[in-house]
Amino acid sequence: MDIELRHIHKRFGAVHANNDISAVFHSGQIVGILGENGAGKSTLMKILAGFQPPDSGVILLDGAPAAYGSPEAALSAGIGMLQQDPLDIGAFTVIENFIYGSHLTRREAYRALSAQTERLGFDIDPDALVSTLSIGQRQQLEIVRLLALGVKTLILDEPTTGISTEQKTLLFDALRLLAKRDGMSVLLVSHKLEDVIALCDRAVVLRSGCLVGELDAPLTTADLVQLMFGGELIQQKRKHPGTGDVVAALEGVTLRSRRMTVEPFTLRIRASEVIGLAGLDNSGQELALRACAGLVKPAAGRVMVLGEDMTGKPYRAFMQKGVWFSAAGRLEEGLIAGLTLTEHVALVADSRPLLDWNAARALTEAKLAQYQVRGQPESLVETLSGGNQQRLLMGLLPEKPVLLALEQPTRGLDVDSSQWIWTQLLDRCDVGTAILFTSPDLDELVAHSDRLLVAFAGRITEVPDAASVTIDQLGRMIGGAFQ
Amino acid sequence: MKMNWMTRLAFALLPIIASLAITALLITLVGSDPRAVFERVFEGAFRNSTAFAGVVNFWIPLVLCSMGLVVTFTAGLWNIGVEGQMMVGAIFASWGAQFLALPAPLQVGAEIALAMAGGAVWASLAGLLKVRLGVHEIFGGVALNALANVWAIYLISGPWQPPEGGSAQATRPFPPDAVLPSISNAFPVSLLGLIIAFLAVVGVALALRGTRWGLQLKATGKNPRSALLLGVPTTQSALTALIVCGVLAGAAGSYRALFTYTSLRPLLTGGIGFLGLLVVLLVGVRAIWTPLVAFAFAVVLGGSTRLRVALQLDQSLAGVLQSTVVLMVLLANGLRRRLSARRSVEAPQPTQTAVDFKQEQTAHE
Amino acid sequence: MRHKVGLFVLVCALLSVVALPALAQDEFVFGVVLVGPENDRGWSQAHYEGGLYVEAVVPGTRMIYFPSLNPADAPETTLLDVVDEMVDQGARVIFTASDAFEEDTNRVAKAFPDVVFINISGDDALTGAAPSNVGNLMGQMEWGKLIAGCAAGLTTQTGSIGYLGPLINAETRRLAASAYLGARYCYETYAGGNPNDLTFTVTWIGFWFNIPGVTLDPNEETNAFYNSGADVVISGIDTTEAIVVAGQRAARGEAVWAVPYDYLGACEEAPEVCLGVPYFHWGPDYAEIVMAVMDGTWSQDWEWVGPDWSDINNPDTSAVGFIFGDGLSEESAAALEDFIADLAAYATNPFIPPSFALWSGWAGPLVLQDGTVLAAEGELVDPLDVWYLGQLLRGMIGASS
Repeated sequence: MDIELRHIHKRFGAVHANNDISAVFHSGQIVGILGENGAGKSTLMKILAGFQPPDSGVILLDGAPAAYGSPEAALSAGIGMLQQDPLDIGAFTVIENFIYGSHLTRREAYRALSAQTERLGFDIDPDALVSTLSIGQRQQLEIVRLLALGVKTLILDEPTTGISTEQKTLLFDALRLLAKRDGMSVLLVSHKLEDVIALCDRAVVLRSGCLVGELDAPLTTADLVQLMFGGELIQQKRKHPGTGDVVAALEGVTLRSRRMTVEPFTLRIRASEVIGLAGLDNSGQELALRACAGLVKPAAGRVMVLGEDMTGKPYRAFMQKGVWFSAAGRLEEGLIAGLTLTEHVALVADSRPLLDWNAARALTEAKLAQYQVRGQPESLVETLSGGNQQRLLMGLLPEKPVLLALEQPTRGLDVDSSQWIWTQLLDRCDVGTAILFTSPDLDELVAHSDRLLVAFAGRITEVPDAASVTIDQLGRMIGGAFQ
Repeated sequence: MKMNWMTRLAFALLPIIASLAITALLITLVGSDPRAVFERVFEGAFRNSTAFAGVVNFWIPLVLCSMGLVVTFTAGLWNIGVEGQMMVGAIFASWGAQFLALPAPLQVGAEIALAMAGGAVWASLAGLLKVRLGVHEIFGGVALNALANVWAIYLISGPWQPPEGGSAQATRPFPPDAVLPSISNAFPVSLLGLIIAFLAVVGVALALRGTRWGLQLKATGKNPRSALLLGVPTTQSALTALIVCGVLAGAAGSYRALFTYTSLRPLLTGGIGFLGLLVVLLVGVRAIWTPLVAFAFAVVLGGSTRLRVALQLDQSLAGVLQSTVVLMVLLANGLRRRLSARRSVEAPQPTQTAVDFKQEQTAHE
Repeated sequence: MRHKVGLFVLVCALLSVVALPALAQDEFVFGVVLVGPENDRGWSQAHYEGGLYVEAVVPGTRMIYFPSLNPADAPETTLLDVVDEMVDQGARVIFTASDAFEEDTNRVAKAFPDVVFINISGDDALTGAAPSNVGNLMGQMEWGKLIAGCAAGLTTQTGSIGYLGPLINAETRRLAASAYLGARYCYETYAGGNPNDLTFTVTWIGFWFNIPGVTLDPNEETNAFYNSGADVVISGIDTTEAIVVAGQRAARGEAVWAVPYDYLGACEEAPEVCLGVPYFHWGPDYAEIVMAVMDGTWSQDWEWVGPDWSDINNPDTSAVGFIFGDGLSEESAAALEDFIADLAAYATNPFIPPSFALWSGWAGPLVLQDGTVLAAEGELVDPLDVWYLGQLLRGMIGASS
């Protein structure tokens, strides 16, 4: 299906989210929609997928003007969108989710599901509960579901966030097959340049609501960065302090969750160190990270902070010791939807029983400026874009914590925002803060870690020479091929 | 993105007008004159100072419970147990009224303090059940409500039974020194009760707006996991919210026992706590509107006394009007949310009440 | 005296047909405050119909009433509010038809000294606790319960009778005890049984009507009686559960009966198992009081009114009556007629002082549960000792407090 957008406009209050955007997407092509956070790419795709109407402008499908006011109508017109967080129902099985919204009988559904997954090389058990799947598998389910509904155009919003390298390869192969063999249009919203370069035939770049350029393959980082930011990026340099005092330690710790056990391991964290925890989803690195902040109680072993045994103490006790945790799901664990930015700042600013809203507002304004958060003090936090939420979260951390335990600190952020976040984090390391972080992004792990630990199936091992490890080597390690 | 004040006002008035219209239609359908009905309700509430006192006497316990529930709802808790907390407050106050003998100015104050303590104890039981044993506050609350009622009946028909010649449906009337005095015969309302209600409104509004505790409750209510990560003592928040609600519900119970009935009676709470839940859900947990909506409820219900006496209309009519208002307000809220959602997809309304929360969930499915 | 009243009422009723248009201008309003709904087929409905009776027979009167005044059904209002409304509507005499209103009536009456209040079943006018504008009225239901007990004693085949009591106070004790005395007497005298073999069990549900979760469930308690061998249940509560349950069980082929209470039409729930109903007929006394207030002759009194022995079911003269039910066998009905005639003879015997005459059913020897002698062999009991009966009688099974 050929899609043409003509003069699309969309405003949210004072923000001109889409400003006169015209573009053509041909069938059989994979097109990357690029732009930093807030550039308007999500808005444009939501308009195309029927989640919101444009203020003005026309959408032409195979040359005919299309008018649809809902995602359902867009679906029946052949346009389906894969959201960043798949909209499935965790308590249902794969097959039940698959049937949902279609007119298939159960038997037809089994057949259709297995045919599609086999063809695309996916691996999902039809009878598994969705809540037990990884994000990558849930994406796969959503893709085959949309295909079964007869989608001709597939829009994917940041699909490579939070999935493993293997799953990414699988996904990209499947997308290529859909575009090249089935002649579908695939639109990939992403801020990850390497994904776009690896996959896309063409890239459309948005900046501040305007379409600023289109490039055909072969795409290069330099060209894309030039269009996205109007300049080249400077590569962050790694530092190697790592000789400070031990500030926190997991001593012979065993961790258990409902799904897995992490075998006993010891990790001593020194002041000013940056330690990366690598691993595929649910390999144990998440548990280790949370154990450091008291959010997971060890089944055996001890958790030490500043020489004190903190085993079994609540997170608040860790906070008082200077250990702060920040989770991957910003609005699930971290920020509080329904509270304003000022309220967030007031919550962590001090512990006086009476609140001084004027002072809190002033402090918030200062923080917003300092951390480059685009938002008003009285805005509700969920109205911020992902990058701004992450920067706000950074602003809520204390100035000189002892240890920051960060789960995917740059999840869903563009290159520029990620760089900025790391600048802030590393500034804190300079004054003695230790950082422990997980990331699905091997680049990020290799670029910023002084030490690297790899989790695989509940075994946590330190990489001997972190300074010289390459992305490829690390990729093999998290897949279980440790030396 | 923000609605101007005209739209807001329209959305506040719309459900009231709509529900009046629907009720009027219903009244016409059953063959009465709606104008006469509304006139009677108005007269019933505002005819003279005594009639108005009846409204105020219902409003005082209702607003006390409602303000308590604003606190628990802010903390994300469904304090169904408010009725039981009220009842235990009444029981404690009744104990004080019968067995304490303090100098006059201290006596009544001590009784109310006892009632507050009793409500707080009962509320913290529900709280402990929740945080220690993981019993949801709704189930704990229902059980504790039943227990409080049984306790009251036991006392009335057992140890506190009046001597022969009295009715066995209440304790003996409390001595004059032990009950709340009226402002005057023409306006039989307790001044102390009014003051406590006023303090509750102002105190809760200020505490939620201007204290760290209030902000922590709000954070706990909206997202306990995030709140915990931001350093909020969420367990403590939930417990203190329940206790504050228990204190206010206990005070409400003492008003029923020490003023309205001047004795302990079975079921003397009369569902006022549940009505409070309704009030707070209607106002969307905004402290400032709570006393006004509670007042409107008191007017409609109190005024309908006259409806029954004068027109002999069925007593459920006030209930019909009340439930229509609730439906219309919920409808208007949904409509407003839909409108603002259309204006800004990226700025969804926060989920303010559990009702909203439910709607959001179903919307996802 | 009662006959005169009845006559007067009749004359008035006839006159009213002629004189109504002229009187309607200056209507006399009276209020009735009910503790339950006006259609409960029990206590409250009997009062409501008493009010209707007054409207029918006393020209120029109009009733206003308020149903279900209790904390659970009407939390938003109190007796004070309701009375204030009624007075505003012109009410000059207000009947507060429950012992639940006893204390409140005194309190409210002080605020409305120009209005006459009649509290039903209270005794404050007797004890002096009431202000001078409060009177008391109660029917001598003891007679009705004696007859009800007799009907049960005549009918029972298992020799076991259940009494479904409300809450425990002097009134409910003396009514339960009356039923017991009637049952015992008739079981021995007419049915030829040994009175010591008769089992008479009282279960108190805790309130006048069922409050789920608070009182015992009268349905369950009635079933419990039948399950444990009783075949007749006498109801002492305001509502109709006993006869409804009996009807259900009879429909399944069981030989069970019940005696409802309070309201003339209570048998209609299940006529075939109904042995009869002792009921109140408040109308004549309401009318008498209303007329006394109208012509300014009312003065404070504690009235405890018995039946019209010439015809206990005369709607214009008798305050309490007993309607025979379909469940009564012909033989039993005849015996019951005899029993009533005996009671009437005693009560109307001119040689027995009126206060004693009243208590012909309550002849000694009577012993309370704790062994205190209430009346020795051959003695009659002082009516006030019955009114204030402090315990159940020896021989009854059940709690006294």
